[in-house]
Amino acid sequence: MLSFLAGRESGSTNPFLLRRAEITRRIFSLDLSKHRDVERIDSLGGINSLNIDTIENRYLLSGGSNGGIVIHDLENFQGETKFTCRQICHIPNSDNNAHRKSIETVQWYPLDTGLFTTSGTDKQLKIWDTNTLVPADTYSFDGIVYSHHMSPIATKHSLIATGCDKSTIKLVDLRAGSSTQMLKGHKAAVLCVQWSTRDEFILASGSSDNGVLLWDIRTAKGCLMSLDQHNGEAASAANKIKTAHNGRVNGLSFTADGLHLVTFGTDSRLRLWNTTTGKNALVNYGNIENDGRKSIKFSLSSGACPDVIFVPDDSNLTMLDLHGGNQIKTLRGHYNQVNCCVFHHDRQELYSGGNDRNVLVWLPQTDHAYDDFLKTDSKTKDKHSFTKRIAATTDTWSDDDD
Amino acid sequence: MANRKRSLLPDVYKQKRRCLIPVNKDVSGELVNEHDWDVPTDTKASLLFLKISFPQEKFEDRIPPILMKHQLYSIIHNRTIVDKHVNDLRESGDVKLFRLGADADESCIVFTEDYQRHCLQVMADLKIDQAIIDKFIETIVKKCKDISLDKETLINTYLFTDKEITELIKSSVLTVRDVGSWWLAIPNAGIFMKSFVKGRKFILTMLRKCKYKQVLQKELEQRKWPKLARLGIMYHVNDIIGADLVVRVQTTSGVLLRLKD
Repeated sequence: MLSFLAGRESGSTNPFLLRRAEITRRIFSLDLSKHRDVERIDSLGGINSLNIDTIENRYLLSGGSNGGIVIHDLENFQGETKFTCRQICHIPNSDNNAHRKSIETVQWYPLDTGLFTTSGTDKQLKIWDTNTLVPADTYSFDGIVYSHHMSPIATKHSLIATGCDKSTIKLVDLRAGSSTQMLKGHKAAVLCVQWSTRDEFILASGSSDNGVLLWDIRTAKGCLMSLDQHNGEAASAANKIKTAHNGRVNGLSFTADGLHLVTFGTDSRLRLWNTTTGKNALVNYGNIENDGRKSIKFSLSSGACPDVIFVPDDSNLTMLDLHGGNQIKTLRGHYNQVNCCVFHHDRQELYSGGNDRNVLVWLPQTDHAYDDFLKTDSKTKDKHSFTKRIAATTDTWSDDDD
Repeated sequence: MANRKRSLLPDVYKQKRRCLIPVNKDVSGELVNEHDWDVPTDTKASLLFLKISFPQEKFEDRIPPILMKHQLYSIIHNRTIVDKHVNDLRESGDVKLFRLGADADESCIVFTEDYQRHCLQVMADLKIDQAIIDKFIETIVKKCKDISLDKETLINTYLFTDKEITELIKSSVLTVRDVGSWWLAIPNAGIFMKSFVKGRKFILTMLRKCKYKQVLQKELEQRKWPKLARLGIMYHVNDIIGADLVVRVQTTSGVLLRLKD
């Protein structure tokens, strides 16, 4: 690394090289943190969805399976090694305005942290004001809302795409306060929706009918294309329907540059697609257990080379190479099924939540912060050890004679 | 443990100085060699290697050497490269892929020359018209790259008549998929499937009976193998590793295979 630093100083190596190399090194050394954790809120139930705000990358929003919402502050101002991320505010499910049943998706408003949106199995999408913790607006739908997403780069529109049980995607307009625009094309429940990170009008949706559709919301006629896993071959005469997976599609994510789309299906496969042509990139990621009836939120790293997919796999998280498909590592730590994970882009940390009601922090283990902390801690303990030993062995109830 | 993690990280800071002559960028040539016998790293070389270890004499030459695609996953560690190479070989006409069973992923590979020889033999035995045999070999065996065919393609592109299609079905080179479309198939594949299913079941029950459901690969290879499963133990070991039915763990006493629950 020192040679890279010297090269950057003298101008012989591109500064981006150092940044990319260091980010990759940190991501590859991710492991369960021994000294950092997130304050556990039991009343949340299992954690269904996590989201970090994109403006400061500081606040972690989590939605639970019994309708509660918690916001944690991830910033460590003291600089101590042993640090617990405290909760700033908590909306329990007993609150009058809270969701009645489980929350499936939470998301911060992409432009500032004054607003966040939540949706769940009580068929409602709520838009909350963070400062007063009261919903500013509520939209009701016909079926369970499995997933909703607001475009992170949109400037010309403020639409929230909601994927419901009724096979239509409803677009909720925040400026007009209406939820009338619908996108029809799927034949079964829409399990996941994501806006493109490259083009503010492109939307991808995955559904129970095994298909993934790409939409341009400006056109009136329908979807742009349906992704086909065989790239046009092996079509039977009777069955010309294009399927993206051999099972329900319950996870979708665009890469940071928006050129590729990763989809996750209940046929235990991940597939990589080229968003411009719609072709299957035919990368083999192997078998990843997936039997979810609801959407699984996995995340992708950005800025590394090669980029990494973090996908929940039963009670572990698997790290996979985005373009090569090989498995890099398995992150073990949860006691129960992992539902969601979110990658902190600035610090290369991973936060994951699951049915065991824990949010676990995975930090890059490139420095020896914990070992140093243990050493300093034991030094302060040594001074008290003599007195402590005496205190431990004296018994205060027996007679000295007997 | 720390050493293994460092080796997984790509060489970002160019710290490792290579003592050998640098190989070109093809990933399949740079993989870590875990076995102590000479493992071919190119996909075609591994296919040839598997073909040679296929016990053809035990089947009295009634079937060509049939290899499963997922056996390659256990030899070459990068699955995407294997898929890409197999696709390239299929496009160039060196191998043919067939769909076995209902599973969308289980596909088997047969070399084109072996398949051609086998079809000639079977169709000649069944006394099918020589013209049909030649037409079939010239068009479908040599030129067709798909695993299934439908009626329009057969009639229009390859110029088969209905009666000829019936003859092909009779000799079981085509098997029914649904109305108007057929899978390309290997005649007498049933003999292979019987041994294959028996062998797989045997090796999995053997693993299930072990304590902790795990066994060292070397010990597994020494065990007694029944006569009915004629494919041989190495075929099945590669098969279960590649099909993700077992997890391969490196230990100080060698490779350990643990049954996946």
